Amino acid sequence: MTQIIWDGLFVGSFYALIALGYSMVYGIIKLLNFAHGDIYMLGAFIGFVMLTSMGGLPGALGIGALLVVLLVSMALTGGAGVLIERFAYRPLRKAPRLAVLITAVGVSFTLQYGVSAIMGSNPRSYPVRLEGDVFDVLGARISLPQVLLMAIAAILMISLNTYIQKTSTGRAMRSISLDMKGSLLMGINVNSVITRTFFIGSALAGAAGVMSGAYYGKIDFMMGFLIGLKAFTAAVIGGIGNIQGAMLGGLVLGLLEAFGASVFGGEWRDVFSFVVLILFLTLRPTGILGERVTERV
Amino acid sequence: MRISKRSTLLLGVATAMLFATSGCSGGLLGGDDAGSDDTGPVKLAMVVPISGPSAPSGEYMSNAAQLAVDEINEAGGVLDGRQLELLVEDEACDAQQGVASANKAVSAGAVVSVGGYCSGATLPQLPIFEEANVPMIIPAANSQDLVKAGKKNVFLVNGTGNQQSNAALEYMLKTGVASVALVDDNDSYAVDITAETKRLIEEDGTITVALSTSVTPGESDYSAAVRDIMSANPELVYWTGYYQEGGLIINQLRNAGFTGQIMVADGSVDASISEIAGANAEGVLATMTQTPDTLEGGGDWIASYEDAFGSAPGPFSLQSYDAVRLAAHAIDEAGSTDGDAIIAALEAVDGFKMFSGPLTFTADHTLSSGGFVILSVQDGAFALEDDLS
Repeated sequence: MTQIIWDGLFVGSFYALIALGYSMVYGIIKLLNFAHGDIYMLGAFIGFVMLTSMGGLPGALGIGALLVVLLVSMALTGGAGVLIERFAYRPLRKAPRLAVLITAVGVSFTLQYGVSAIMGSNPRSYPVRLEGDVFDVLGARISLPQVLLMAIAAILMISLNTYIQKTSTGRAMRSISLDMKGSLLMGINVNSVITRTFFIGSALAGAAGVMSGAYYGKIDFMMGFLIGLKAFTAAVIGGIGNIQGAMLGGLVLGLLEAFGASVFGGEWRDVFSFVVLILFLTLRPTGILGERVTERV
Repeated sequence: MRISKRSTLLLGVATAMLFATSGCSGGLLGGDDAGSDDTGPVKLAMVVPISGPSAPSGEYMSNAAQLAVDEINEAGGVLDGRQLELLVEDEACDAQQGVASANKAVSAGAVVSVGGYCSGATLPQLPIFEEANVPMIIPAANSQDLVKAGKKNVFLVNGTGNQQSNAALEYMLKTGVASVALVDDNDSYAVDITAETKRLIEEDGTITVALSTSVTPGESDYSAAVRDIMSANPELVYWTGYYQEGGLIINQLRNAGFTGQIMVADGSVDASISEIAGANAEGVLATMTQTPDTLEGGGDWIASYEDAFGSAPGPFSLQSYDAVRLAAHAIDEAGSTDGDAIIAALEAVDGFKMFSGPLTFTADHTLSSGGFVILSVQDGAFALEDDLS
């Protein structure tokens, strides 16, 4: 039982990191950024290229090198997110919602097959692996890398929350999500705030990509697709547009999957978690913490 | 296979359209194409993955086929001096791409197909080659579905899922395993082997199936399957999917402290499995047909392959090489490039010498003996563990 909860929380923290980007972007410009899962993939590949080009160095430096790579990958994927927003989404900001949605799907394919064309379509194995002791806590096997990755995820999420709640940019983000035109009239530089939103969301996804590569050891150009869908689901469960909701939604989805798999068997896991999702949304369409959505509508 | 999830609808429409067009062109061109060109090269189609996750296997196959073509041409070609020509087209392990490539090969005038790697991508090609009356000698794809389709132009020179399950059971019985867990990735090929293995094990009755489960391919975290396996606590885990997920599952199982044996099916026999799982892949068993490295007397053949392509052959190289030789043999026996005559010649083959042993087809066009052996990972590469004889 404790093992199920732990496994669910661990996978859930990956979902949560990616779900944040979905939720932030949706909250601020009502765009379902389907390219977001591929930003995660991009982060994994940027980390891979950096680690490979350093040769034997990362092995010697261990976790330290990995943390540096993590930060640089976050900066680069953040930059990629900003560029995507600038060139693919901003020109369409006044276009019908569907046009932007299709553009997002287009960006997603561009990223997938762009990476596939440059890096090859074969799966790559990460040059540095997170390995560490395993210890037993209340019957669950918990490994040091898992604890480390969850700690990194928690630090990233807490700092994001503080940033949004306590800083002026955060306040601007919240006000744009309530009323973009009003915020503009109040003197907020809307474009720059949206740029920052994309930077932060993409950086978090990039971080998740590097962490996944270093922990699981295998990356490929399609790795962002399925987890992107799951993260989107997590964002909806939590109440899309709501930051705490995205974090909570990720963990809830991870737990649902873990329970579904162990109660009904692996082949029924996705059936179980999505049936629960449908039931839940029927009863509570705004998600767990979705009050802000209704407020906006 | 992986891409199809997003574009299932698109794919369905596209496949339907391709089927429709292939029907037309087959009807219009099929008749006069065979007789009109009696002197040019005899074209063999080879639809194998050139792109996509299975691209390395495609290269092992097309290189080996080319080697056979070159050798046959040097020895005088087929049908009294006509040269063989190999048309390599991309299958990409994707149904849509496979169908497009099959159509391309048929319209280029191929008389025999010697390709087919991913069963899921090969299956939709069957009607296209059947329509054009092109015999298919399939070197790698081996799903039971290919046999069940019951097409008279389809011949399998790789052992089938059924024969693979038999080999798996034989080894389990031989080593005295008491309980097994069967894990697949929901792909038709993998489910096929698990279902068959389960049936055989239950029929036999000495081994218990502690767990039979599926995972979703394309994810990174397989902790759910690992947890199920750990609590079922089998002595052997048999994974029947492909190597990307296989590598991850082996790694996660070992990291979770699983000490029993792990066995994989032929879709996971790839050098990448030990790159992904690292040292955890050591000792992993596999049910597989002979590869050049594991075959006695394969050394000379490997040398000539390396000479021609500058790299070593891999899984399914032998079958592809033999498929081309078999095609040439059948064309010569038939005395023409007419599809029906070649099919009759293939059915009449009796004891044709191949790497996997003398070949004779059964009534449903599969090998009379499968030729499966047990390999194991030693120092990061697959080597022969037990030839089950």
